[in-house]
Amino acid sequence: METFLTLLPMLVKMAVIVGVLLLLPLPLTWLERKIAAHIQQRPGPMRVGWHGLLQPVADAVKLLTKEDHIPAEADRRLFAMAPVVALVPPFLVFTAIPFGEPVEVFGTEVPLMLSDMNVGLLFILAVSGIGVFGTILAGWASNSKYAVLGSLRSIAQMISYEIPMGFSVIGVVMLANSMNLSQIVAAQQGLWNIVLQPVGFFVFFVAGLAEAQRIPFDLPEAEGDLGAGYHTEYSGIRFSLFMLAEYLVVVMLAALNVLLFFGGWNGAPFFLPDPVWFLLKTGFFVWLFMWFRFTFPRYRYDQLMTIGWKVLLPLSLLNILVSGILML
Amino acid sequence: MARTLTEKKGWIGRIFFADLLSGLRLTLRYMLSRTITHRYPDHEKWVPYERHRGHHFMKTNDEGEVNCVACELCSQICPCDCITVIPFENEKGDRRPAVFDINLARCLYCGLCEDACPADAIKLGQEYEVACDDRPKLVVHLDDLVAAPRKAGDGGRLQAARLDKDRQQRSTATGGAGGRDWWQYIRKGK
Repeated sequence: METFLTLLPMLVKMAVIVGVLLLLPLPLTWLERKIAAHIQQRPGPMRVGWHGLLQPVADAVKLLTKEDHIPAEADRRLFAMAPVVALVPPFLVFTAIPFGEPVEVFGTEVPLMLSDMNVGLLFILAVSGIGVFGTILAGWASNSKYAVLGSLRSIAQMISYEIPMGFSVIGVVMLANSMNLSQIVAAQQGLWNIVLQPVGFFVFFVAGLAEAQRIPFDLPEAEGDLGAGYHTEYSGIRFSLFMLAEYLVVVMLAALNVLLFFGGWNGAPFFLPDPVWFLLKTGFFVWLFMWFRFTFPRYRYDQLMTIGWKVLLPLSLLNILVSGILML
Repeated sequence: MARTLTEKKGWIGRIFFADLLSGLRLTLRYMLSRTITHRYPDHEKWVPYERHRGHHFMKTNDEGEVNCVACELCSQICPCDCITVIPFENEKGDRRPAVFDINLARCLYCGLCEDACPADAIKLGQEYEVACDDRPKLVVHLDDLVAAPRKAGDGGRLQAARLDKDRQQRSTATGGAGGRDWWQYIRKGK
Protein backbone atom coordinates (compact mmCIF):
# COMPACT_ATOMS: atom_id res chain seq x y z
CA MET A 1 0.00 0.00 0.00
CA GLU A 2 2.81 2.37 0.90
CA THR A 3 4.63 1.73 -2.34
CA PHE A 4 1.40 2.14 -4.25
CA LEU A 5 0.79 5.53 -2.67
CA THR A 6 4.26 6.69 -3.67
CA LEU A 7 3.79 5.31 -7.15
CA LEU A 8 0.34 6.78 -7.65
CA PRO A 9 1.37 10.36 -8.49
CA MET A 10 3.92 9.02 -10.94
CA LEU A 11 1.34 6.80 -12.64
CA VAL A 12 -1.15 9.66 -12.86
CA LYS A 13 1.48 11.95 -14.35
CA MET A 14 2.49 9.32 -16.88
CA ALA A 15 -1.10 8.71 -17.92
CA VAL A 16 -1.76 12.43 -18.29
CA ILE A 17 1.39 13.09 -20.31
CA VAL A 18 0.95 10.12 -22.65
CA GLY A 19 -2.72 10.91 -23.14
CA VAL A 20 -2.12 14.56 -23.86
CA LEU A 21 0.78 13.83 -26.19
CA LEU A 22 -1.25 11.29 -28.15
CA LEU A 23 -4.10 13.74 -28.59
CA LEU A 24 -1.94 16.80 -29.18
CA PRO A 25 -1.56 16.40 -32.96
CA LEU A 26 -5.32 16.80 -33.37
CA PRO A 27 -5.45 20.47 -32.35
CA LEU A 28 -2.02 21.05 -33.89
CA THR A 29 -3.01 19.86 -37.37
CA TRP A 30 -6.08 22.09 -37.12
CA LEU A 31 -3.90 25.01 -36.06
CA GLU A 32 -1.40 24.39 -38.82
CA ARG A 33 -4.07 24.25 -41.49
CA LYS A 34 -5.72 27.38 -40.16
CA ILE A 35 -2.42 29.28 -40.09
CA ALA A 36 -1.56 28.09 -43.59
CA ALA A 37 -4.98 29.18 -44.78
CA HIS A 38 -4.96 32.59 -43.18
CA ILE A 39 -1.48 33.38 -44.50
CA GLN A 40 -2.92 32.61 -47.93
CA GLN A 41 -6.05 34.66 -47.14
CA ARG A 42 -8.46 31.75 -47.14
CA PRO A 43 -10.50 30.48 -44.19
CA GLY A 44 -9.17 26.90 -44.15
CA PRO A 45 -11.35 24.07 -42.87
CA MET A 46 -14.78 25.51 -42.14
CA ARG A 47 -17.32 22.76 -42.78
CA VAL A 48 -16.71 20.12 -40.11
CA GLY A 49 -17.75 21.58 -36.79
CA TRP A 50 -17.37 25.18 -35.71
CA HIS A 51 -14.65 26.70 -37.91
CA GLY A 52 -13.57 23.18 -38.83
CA LEU A 53 -12.64 22.23 -35.28
CA LEU A 54 -13.72 18.63 -35.86
CA GLN A 55 -11.69 18.37 -39.06
CA PRO A 56 -8.75 16.59 -37.32
CA VAL A 57 -11.19 13.96 -36.03
CA ALA A 58 -12.43 13.38 -39.56
CA ASP A 59 -8.82 13.18 -40.75
CA ALA A 60 -7.97 10.70 -38.02
CA VAL A 61 -10.92 8.50 -38.93
CA LYS A 62 -9.86 8.64 -42.55
CA LEU A 63 -6.25 7.71 -41.75
CA LEU A 64 -7.23 4.89 -39.41
CA THR A 65 -9.64 3.30 -41.86
CA LYS A 66 -7.29 3.47 -44.84
CA GLU A 67 -5.52 0.44 -46.20
CA ASP A 68 -2.24 -0.21 -44.44
CA HIS A 69 -0.16 -0.82 -47.52
CA ILE A 70 3.27 -2.46 -47.44
CA PRO A 71 5.19 -2.45 -50.71
CA ALA A 72 5.90 -5.90 -52.15
CA GLU A 73 9.69 -5.60 -52.07
CA ALA A 74 9.86 -3.90 -48.69
CA ASP A 75 11.57 -5.30 -45.63
CA ARG A 76 8.36 -5.98 -43.78
CA ARG A 77 9.74 -6.15 -40.24
CA LEU A 78 11.77 -2.96 -40.48
CA PHE A 79 8.94 -1.28 -42.33
CA ALA A 80 6.59 -1.97 -39.43
CA MET A 81 9.23 -1.00 -36.86
CA ALA A 82 10.22 2.37 -38.31
CA PRO A 83 7.16 4.45 -37.29
CA VAL A 84 7.39 3.15 -33.73
CA VAL A 85 11.12 3.90 -33.59
CA ALA A 86 10.37 7.41 -34.82
CA LEU A 87 7.61 7.86 -32.26
CA VAL A 88 9.31 6.65 -29.08
CA PRO A 89 12.05 9.34 -28.68
CA PRO A 90 9.69 12.33 -28.63
CA PHE A 91 7.66 10.57 -25.94
CA LEU A 92 10.80 9.74 -23.97
CA VAL A 93 11.96 13.34 -24.11
CA PHE A 94 8.87 14.49 -22.27
CA THR A 95 9.89 12.45 -19.22
CA ALA A 96 12.61 15.02 -18.60
CA ILE A 97 10.70 18.20 -19.38
CA PRO A 98 9.48 20.09 -16.31
CA PHE A 99 6.18 21.95 -16.50
CA GLY A 100 6.39 24.07 -13.38
CA GLU A 101 7.38 24.32 -9.75
CA PRO A 102 6.53 21.30 -7.57
CA VAL A 103 2.98 21.53 -6.24
CA GLU A 104 1.46 20.39 -2.93
CA VAL A 105 -1.20 17.70 -3.37
CA PHE A 106 -2.72 16.26 -0.16
CA GLY A 107 0.33 17.22 1.84
CA THR A 108 2.86 15.57 -0.43
CA GLU A 109 5.10 17.50 -2.78
CA VAL A 110 4.61 16.45 -6.39
CA PRO A 111 7.16 17.69 -8.92
CA LEU A 112 5.52 18.61 -12.24
CA MET A 113 7.82 16.38 -14.24
CA LEU A 114 8.26 12.65 -14.56
CA SER A 115 11.91 12.43 -13.71
CA ASP A 116 14.10 15.19 -12.29
CA MET A 117 17.37 14.10 -13.85
CA ASN A 118 20.70 15.72 -13.09
CA VAL A 119 21.58 15.51 -16.76
CA GLY A 120 18.11 16.26 -18.13
CA LEU A 121 19.41 18.40 -20.96
CA LEU A 122 21.96 15.80 -22.04
CA PHE A 123 19.26 13.13 -21.89
CA ILE A 124 16.97 15.19 -24.10
CA LEU A 125 19.64 15.89 -26.70
CA ALA A 126 20.72 12.24 -26.74
CA VAL A 127 17.23 10.78 -26.95
CA SER A 128 15.99 13.20 -29.58
CA GLY A 129 18.98 12.17 -31.65
CA ILE A 130 17.68 8.59 -31.72
CA GLY A 131 14.62 9.79 -33.57
CA VAL A 132 16.57 9.84 -36.80
CA PHE A 133 16.73 6.03 -36.69
CA GLY A 134 13.03 5.93 -37.48
CA THR A 135 13.70 7.98 -40.57
CA ILE A 136 16.66 5.83 -41.60
CA LEU A 137 14.75 2.59 -41.13
CA ALA A 138 11.70 3.95 -42.95
CA GLY A 139 13.80 5.02 -45.93
CA TRP A 140 15.74 1.79 -46.06
CA ALA A 141 12.84 -0.60 -45.49
CA SER A 142 10.55 1.02 -48.07
CA ASN A 143 12.82 -0.09 -50.91
CA SER A 144 11.94 3.05 -52.82
CA LYS A 145 14.27 5.58 -54.38
CA TYR A 146 12.46 8.59 -53.00
CA ALA A 147 12.37 7.17 -49.51
CA VAL A 148 16.08 6.30 -49.53
CA LEU A 149 17.01 9.74 -50.84
CA GLY A 150 14.85 11.35 -48.19
CA SER A 151 16.41 9.37 -45.38
CA LEU A 152 19.94 9.98 -46.72
CA ARG A 153 19.29 13.68 -46.64
CA SER A 154 17.81 13.38 -43.22
CA ILE A 155 20.89 11.61 -41.84
CA ALA A 156 23.24 14.22 -43.25
CA GLN A 157 21.06 16.99 -41.90
CA MET A 158 20.81 15.48 -38.44
CA ILE A 159 24.56 14.99 -38.18
CA SER A 160 25.21 18.53 -39.34
CA TYR A 161 22.75 20.19 -37.04
CA GLU A 162 23.00 18.16 -33.87
CA ILE A 163 26.52 19.47 -33.31
CA PRO A 164 25.73 23.21 -33.32
CA MET A 165 22.57 22.42 -31.36
CA GLY A 166 24.61 20.71 -28.65
CA PHE A 167 27.18 23.50 -28.58
CA SER A 168 24.56 26.24 -28.46
CA VAL A 169 23.13 25.05 -25.15
CA ILE A 170 26.56 24.97 -23.47
CA GLY A 171 26.30 28.70 -22.82
CA VAL A 172 23.05 28.09 -20.96
CA VAL A 173 24.59 25.26 -18.97
CA MET A 174 27.53 27.50 -18.05
CA LEU A 175 25.17 30.20 -16.80
CA ALA A 176 23.10 27.80 -14.70
CA ASN A 177 26.04 25.65 -13.58
CA SER A 178 23.77 22.67 -14.12
CA MET A 179 22.30 20.41 -16.76
CA ASN A 180 19.18 19.91 -14.67
CA LEU A 181 16.32 21.62 -16.48
CA SER A 182 14.50 22.84 -13.38
CA GLN A 183 17.75 24.39 -12.13
CA ILE A 184 18.31 26.00 -15.53
CA VAL A 185 14.85 27.53 -15.23
CA ALA A 186 15.54 28.57 -11.63
CA ALA A 187 18.74 30.29 -12.76
CA GLN A 188 16.67 32.47 -15.09
CA GLN A 189 14.51 33.89 -12.31
CA GLY A 190 15.88 37.41 -12.64
CA LEU A 191 16.92 37.58 -16.26
CA TRP A 192 15.90 35.30 -19.09
CA ASN A 193 18.73 33.68 -20.98
CA ILE A 194 17.63 35.26 -24.26
CA VAL A 195 19.16 38.52 -23.03
CA LEU A 196 22.48 36.92 -22.13
CA GLN A 197 22.61 34.33 -24.90
CA PRO A 198 21.01 35.81 -28.03
CA VAL A 199 23.48 34.05 -30.32
CA GLY A 200 22.99 30.78 -28.50
CA PHE A 201 19.24 31.15 -28.91
CA PHE A 202 19.60 31.89 -32.61
CA VAL A 203 21.77 28.83 -33.21
CA PHE A 204 19.50 26.63 -31.10
CA PHE A 205 16.38 27.88 -32.85
CA VAL A 206 17.71 27.38 -36.37
CA ALA A 207 19.26 24.01 -35.55
CA GLY A 208 15.95 23.08 -33.91
CA LEU A 209 14.06 23.91 -37.09
CA ALA A 210 16.46 21.63 -38.94
CA GLU A 211 16.12 18.89 -36.31
CA ALA A 212 12.35 19.00 -36.59
CA GLN A 213 12.77 18.87 -40.38
CA ARG A 214 10.50 21.80 -40.89
CA ILE A 215 10.59 24.44 -43.58
CA PRO A 216 13.02 26.02 -44.42
CA PHE A 217 14.98 22.85 -43.65
CA ASP A 218 12.50 20.17 -44.66
CA LEU A 219 14.73 18.58 -47.28
CA PRO A 220 14.09 15.01 -46.05
CA GLU A 221 10.48 15.32 -47.09
CA ALA A 222 10.72 17.89 -49.85
CA GLU A 223 7.44 17.33 -51.66
CA GLY A 224 8.69 18.99 -54.80
CA ASP A 225 11.60 16.69 -55.50
CA LEU A 226 11.06 13.56 -53.39
CA GLY A 227 7.38 12.74 -53.41
CA ALA A 228 7.04 12.74 -49.64
CA GLY A 229 10.59 11.77 -48.65
CA TYR A 230 11.17 8.95 -46.22
CA HIS A 231 7.47 8.24 -45.67
CA THR A 232 6.56 8.12 -49.35
CA GLU A 233 5.52 4.46 -49.10
CA TYR A 234 3.63 4.76 -45.84
CA SER A 235 -0.13 5.01 -45.62
CA GLY A 236 -2.90 4.88 -43.10
CA ILE A 237 -2.04 4.38 -39.45
CA ARG A 238 1.70 4.06 -39.95
CA PHE A 239 1.82 7.37 -41.78
CA SER A 240 -0.15 8.99 -38.98
CA LEU A 241 2.46 7.71 -36.49
CA PHE A 242 5.11 9.63 -38.45
CA MET A 243 2.95 12.72 -38.40
CA LEU A 244 2.45 12.29 -34.65
CA ALA A 245 6.23 12.06 -34.14
CA GLU A 246 6.77 15.16 -36.28
CA TYR A 247 4.34 17.25 -34.27
CA LEU A 248 5.71 16.00 -30.98
CA VAL A 249 9.23 16.99 -32.03
CA VAL A 250 7.91 20.45 -32.81
CA VAL A 251 6.28 20.73 -29.40
CA MET A 252 9.42 19.38 -27.74
CA LEU A 253 11.60 21.98 -29.46
CA ALA A 254 9.19 24.74 -28.58
CA ALA A 255 9.27 23.61 -24.95
CA LEU A 256 13.07 23.46 -24.99
CA ASN A 257 13.32 26.93 -26.47
CA VAL A 258 11.15 28.22 -23.66
CA LEU A 259 12.97 26.31 -20.93
CA LEU A 260 16.47 27.20 -22.04
CA PHE A 261 16.12 30.75 -23.30
CA PHE A 262 12.74 32.21 -22.34
CA GLY A 263 12.73 31.57 -18.64
CA GLY A 264 10.50 28.52 -18.52
CA TRP A 265 7.60 29.38 -16.21
CA ASN A 266 9.31 32.49 -14.80
CA GLY A 267 7.56 35.81 -15.12
CA ALA A 268 4.02 34.49 -15.07
CA PRO A 269 1.37 37.15 -14.59
CA PHE A 270 -0.25 36.73 -11.17
CA PHE A 271 -3.51 35.30 -12.45
CA LEU A 272 -1.88 32.43 -14.37
CA PRO A 273 -0.49 29.31 -12.73
CA ASP A 274 3.07 28.45 -13.71
CA PRO A 275 2.36 25.44 -15.95
CA VAL A 276 -0.26 27.36 -17.93
CA TRP A 277 2.16 30.21 -18.50
CA PHE A 278 4.82 27.74 -19.59
CA LEU A 279 2.41 26.05 -22.01
CA LEU A 280 1.35 29.43 -23.39
CA LYS A 281 4.96 30.27 -24.17
CA THR A 282 5.38 26.84 -25.76
CA GLY A 283 2.28 27.45 -27.83
CA PHE A 284 3.73 30.73 -29.01
CA PHE A 285 6.82 28.92 -30.27
CA VAL A 286 4.72 26.28 -32.00
CA TRP A 287 2.87 29.10 -33.73
CA LEU A 288 6.20 30.66 -34.66
CA PHE A 289 7.35 27.39 -36.26
CA MET A 290 4.13 27.25 -38.29
CA TRP A 291 4.40 30.89 -39.29
CA PHE A 292 7.95 30.20 -40.54
CA ARG A 293 6.75 27.19 -42.43
CA PHE A 294 4.35 29.15 -44.57
CA THR A 295 6.66 32.09 -45.10
CA PHE A 296 9.97 30.68 -46.27
CA PRO A 297 10.94 28.57 -49.23
CA ARG A 298 13.14 25.50 -48.80
CA TYR A 299 16.91 25.83 -48.76
CA ARG A 300 18.98 24.06 -51.37
CA TYR A 301 21.02 21.10 -50.17
CA ASP A 302 24.41 22.85 -50.39
CA GLN A 303 22.97 25.89 -48.64
CA LEU A 304 21.73 23.62 -45.88
CA MET A 305 25.21 22.21 -45.38
CA THR A 306 26.80 25.65 -45.59
CA ILE A 307 24.49 27.03 -42.93
CA GLY A 308 25.14 24.08 -40.67
CA TRP A 309 28.90 23.82 -40.89
CA LYS A 310 30.09 27.28 -41.91
CA VAL A 311 27.66 29.51 -40.04
CA LEU A 312 26.03 27.78 -37.08
CA LEU A 313 29.00 25.72 -35.90
CA PRO A 314 31.51 28.64 -35.77
CA LEU A 315 28.82 30.86 -34.25
CA SER A 316 28.10 28.37 -31.48
CA LEU A 317 31.81 27.87 -30.73
CA LEU A 318 32.31 31.63 -30.67
CA ASN A 319 29.34 31.91 -28.35
CA ILE A 320 30.93 29.48 -25.89
CA LEU A 321 34.23 31.33 -26.10
CA VAL A 322 32.75 34.79 -25.57
CA SER A 323 30.43 33.77 -22.75
CA GLY A 324 33.34 31.95 -21.11
CA ILE A 325 35.54 35.05 -21.28
CA LEU A 326 32.75 37.25 -19.96
CA MET A 327 32.05 34.93 -17.06
CA LEU A 328 35.68 34.88 -15.93
CA MET B 1 -0.88 42.83 -55.77
CA ALA B 2 2.30 41.06 -54.86
CA ARG B 3 4.71 43.43 -53.29
CA THR B 4 8.32 42.59 -52.85
CA LEU B 5 9.99 44.27 -49.95
CA THR B 6 13.49 43.30 -50.96
CA GLU B 7 15.32 46.54 -50.95
CA LYS B 8 19.05 46.41 -50.90
CA LYS B 9 20.02 46.50 -47.26
CA GLY B 10 23.53 47.05 -45.97
CA TRP B 11 25.58 44.50 -44.12
CA ILE B 12 23.83 45.39 -40.86
CA GLY B 13 20.53 44.41 -42.42
CA ARG B 14 22.13 41.23 -43.73
CA ILE B 15 23.34 40.25 -40.26
CA PHE B 16 19.94 40.82 -38.67
CA PHE B 17 18.09 39.08 -41.52
CA ALA B 18 16.19 42.13 -42.70
CA ASP B 19 14.97 40.25 -45.76
CA LEU B 20 13.66 37.29 -43.79
CA LEU B 21 11.98 39.63 -41.32
CA SER B 22 10.25 41.58 -44.06
CA GLY B 23 8.94 38.28 -45.42
CA LEU B 24 7.66 37.37 -41.99
CA ARG B 25 6.07 40.80 -41.63
CA LEU B 26 4.23 40.35 -44.91
CA THR B 27 2.85 36.93 -43.99
CA LEU B 28 1.90 38.17 -40.54
CA ARG B 29 -0.10 40.96 -42.11
CA TYR B 30 -1.81 38.46 -44.37
CA MET B 31 -2.50 36.22 -41.38
CA LEU B 32 -4.29 39.04 -39.61
CA SER B 33 -6.17 40.34 -42.63
CA ARG B 34 -9.59 39.11 -43.68
CA THR B 35 -9.95 36.05 -45.85
CA ILE B 36 -11.02 36.78 -49.39
CA THR B 37 -12.30 33.44 -50.64
CA HIS B 38 -15.96 32.91 -51.47
CA ARG B 39 -17.69 30.29 -49.37
CA TYR B 40 -19.43 28.98 -52.45
CA PRO B 41 -21.79 27.06 -52.86
CA ASP B 42 -23.44 26.62 -49.46
CA HIS B 43 -22.84 29.99 -47.83
CA GLU B 44 -22.18 32.62 -50.44
CA LYS B 45 -22.60 33.06 -54.12
CA TRP B 46 -20.95 35.51 -56.47
CA VAL B 47 -23.25 37.62 -58.61
CA PRO B 48 -21.42 38.28 -61.87
CA TYR B 49 -21.16 41.66 -63.49
CA GLU B 50 -23.53 42.76 -66.24
CA ARG B 51 -20.81 42.13 -68.83
CA HIS B 52 -20.67 38.46 -67.81
CA ARG B 53 -21.66 36.06 -70.58
CA GLY B 54 -23.46 33.15 -68.98
CA HIS B 55 -26.52 31.01 -69.70
CA HIS B 56 -28.62 32.57 -72.49
CA PHE B 57 -32.06 33.99 -71.92
CA MET B 58 -34.85 35.12 -74.23
CA LYS B 59 -36.47 38.53 -73.86
CA THR B 60 -40.24 38.83 -74.06
CA ASN B 61 -42.43 41.78 -75.08
CA ASP B 62 -45.30 43.33 -73.12
CA GLU B 63 -47.82 40.70 -74.27
CA GLY B 64 -45.57 37.94 -73.01
CA GLU B 65 -44.51 36.83 -76.45
CA VAL B 66 -40.87 36.19 -77.15
CA ASN B 67 -39.07 38.94 -79.03
CA CYS B 68 -37.48 36.43 -81.36
CA VAL B 69 -38.57 36.67 -84.99
CA ALA B 70 -36.85 33.39 -85.91
CA CYS B 71 -34.61 35.07 -88.47
CA GLU B 72 -31.94 32.43 -87.69
CA LEU B 73 -29.15 35.02 -87.81
CA CYS B 74 -27.90 33.78 -84.45
CA SER B 75 -27.69 30.21 -85.63
CA GLN B 76 -25.90 31.42 -88.79
CA ILE B 77 -23.26 33.41 -86.93
CA CYS B 78 -22.74 30.87 -84.15
CA PRO B 79 -19.12 29.68 -84.49
CA CYS B 80 -19.86 26.30 -82.96
CA ASP B 81 -23.20 25.73 -84.58
CA CYS B 82 -25.04 25.16 -81.33
CA ILE B 83 -28.29 27.07 -81.98
CA THR B 84 -31.19 25.40 -83.77
CA VAL B 85 -34.10 27.62 -84.84
CA ILE B 86 -37.20 26.39 -86.69
CA PRO B 87 -39.67 29.19 -87.52
CA PHE B 88 -43.45 29.09 -87.80
CA GLU B 89 -46.22 31.65 -88.35
CA ASN B 90 -48.49 32.20 -85.38
CA GLU B 91 -52.21 33.17 -85.45
CA LYS B 92 -51.38 36.89 -85.59
CA GLY B 93 -49.30 36.32 -88.68
CA ASP B 94 -45.98 36.92 -86.91
CA ARG B 95 -42.90 34.86 -87.58
CA ARG B 96 -41.88 33.15 -84.32
CA PRO B 97 -39.61 30.24 -83.41
CA ALA B 98 -41.33 26.88 -83.13
CA VAL B 99 -38.09 25.40 -81.87
CA PHE B 100 -35.27 27.40 -80.33
CA ASP B 101 -32.66 25.02 -78.94
CA ILE B 102 -29.21 25.92 -77.66
CA ASN B 103 -26.72 23.17 -76.97
CA LEU B 104 -24.84 24.55 -73.96
CA ALA B 105 -22.30 21.74 -74.18
CA ARG B 106 -21.09 23.15 -77.48
CA CYS B 107 -21.64 26.86 -76.81
CA LEU B 108 -18.49 28.83 -76.11
CA TYR B 109 -20.34 31.86 -74.72
CA CYS B 110 -18.80 34.26 -77.23
CA GLY B 111 -21.89 36.47 -77.37
CA LEU B 112 -22.01 36.71 -81.19
CA CYS B 113 -25.67 35.63 -81.18
CA GLU B 114 -26.42 38.58 -78.92
CA ASP B 115 -24.65 40.92 -81.36
CA ALA B 116 -26.34 39.46 -84.42
CA CYS B 117 -29.88 39.50 -83.06
CA PRO B 118 -31.96 42.22 -84.83
CA ALA B 119 -34.94 41.86 -82.48
CA ASP B 120 -33.23 42.28 -79.09
CA ALA B 121 -34.28 38.75 -78.20
CA ILE B 122 -31.38 36.45 -77.37
CA LYS B 123 -29.04 37.63 -74.59
CA LEU B 124 -26.41 36.10 -72.39
CA GLY B 125 -27.34 36.32 -68.74
CA GLN B 126 -25.83 35.86 -65.27
CA GLU B 127 -26.44 32.17 -64.71
CA TYR B 128 -23.18 30.23 -64.63
CA GLU B 129 -24.09 26.95 -62.98
CA VAL B 130 -24.87 24.73 -65.93
CA ALA B 131 -23.10 21.55 -64.90
CA CYS B 132 -25.24 18.42 -64.91
CA ASP B 133 -24.90 14.66 -64.98
CA ASP B 134 -26.50 14.01 -68.35
CA ARG B 135 -25.46 15.58 -71.62
CA PRO B 136 -28.90 15.76 -73.29
CA LYS B 137 -29.98 17.98 -70.36
CA LEU B 138 -27.56 20.59 -71.65
CA VAL B 139 -29.75 21.25 -74.69
CA VAL B 140 -32.05 24.03 -73.48
CA HIS B 141 -35.32 24.87 -75.14
CA LEU B 142 -37.36 28.02 -75.67
CA ASP B 143 -39.24 27.86 -72.36
CA ASP B 144 -35.98 27.31 -70.46
CA LEU B 145 -34.56 30.39 -72.15
CA VAL B 146 -37.56 32.52 -71.24
CA ALA B 147 -37.33 31.37 -67.62
CA ALA B 148 -33.54 31.79 -67.35
CA PRO B 149 -32.19 34.56 -65.11
CA ARG B 150 -31.58 37.94 -66.71
CA LYS B 151 -28.41 40.02 -66.67
CA ALA B 152 -27.46 41.07 -63.16
CA GLY B 153 -27.93 44.79 -62.83
CA ASP B 154 -26.00 44.96 -59.57
CA GLY B 155 -23.21 42.48 -60.18
CA GLY B 156 -19.92 42.24 -58.33
CA ARG B 157 -21.23 41.35 -54.88
CA LEU B 158 -21.54 38.28 -52.72
CA GLN B 159 -24.95 37.02 -51.75
CA ALA B 160 -25.96 34.65 -49.01
CA ALA B 161 -26.74 31.30 -50.59
CA ARG B 162 -27.52 27.71 -49.78
CA LEU B 163 -26.92 24.42 -51.53
CA ASP B 164 -30.04 23.34 -53.37
CA LYS B 165 -30.37 19.56 -53.34
CA ASP B 166 -33.38 19.54 -55.67
CA ARG B 167 -31.72 21.57 -58.39
CA GLN B 168 -28.85 19.11 -58.90
CA GLN B 169 -26.81 20.49 -55.98
CA ARG B 170 -26.73 24.01 -57.32
CA SER B 171 -26.34 27.05 -55.20
CA THR B 172 -29.37 29.24 -54.71
CA ALA B 173 -29.15 32.79 -53.49
CA THR B 174 -31.22 33.24 -50.35
CA GLY B 175 -30.59 36.88 -49.57
CA GLY B 176 -32.40 39.53 -51.54
CA ALA B 177 -30.64 42.42 -53.20
CA GLY B 178 -27.60 43.78 -51.42
CA GLY B 179 -24.96 41.39 -50.15
CA ARG B 180 -21.43 42.32 -49.31
CA ASP B 181 -18.96 44.00 -51.56
CA TRP B 182 -16.23 41.47 -52.02
CA TRP B 183 -13.63 43.84 -53.39
CA GLN B 184 -13.28 45.87 -50.22
CA TYR B 185 -11.48 42.96 -48.56
CA ILE B 186 -8.87 42.60 -51.26
CA ARG B 187 -5.56 44.05 -50.18
CA LYS B 188 -4.65 46.76 -52.62
CA GLY B 189 -1.05 47.51 -53.38
CA LYS B 190 0.31 50.72 -51.95
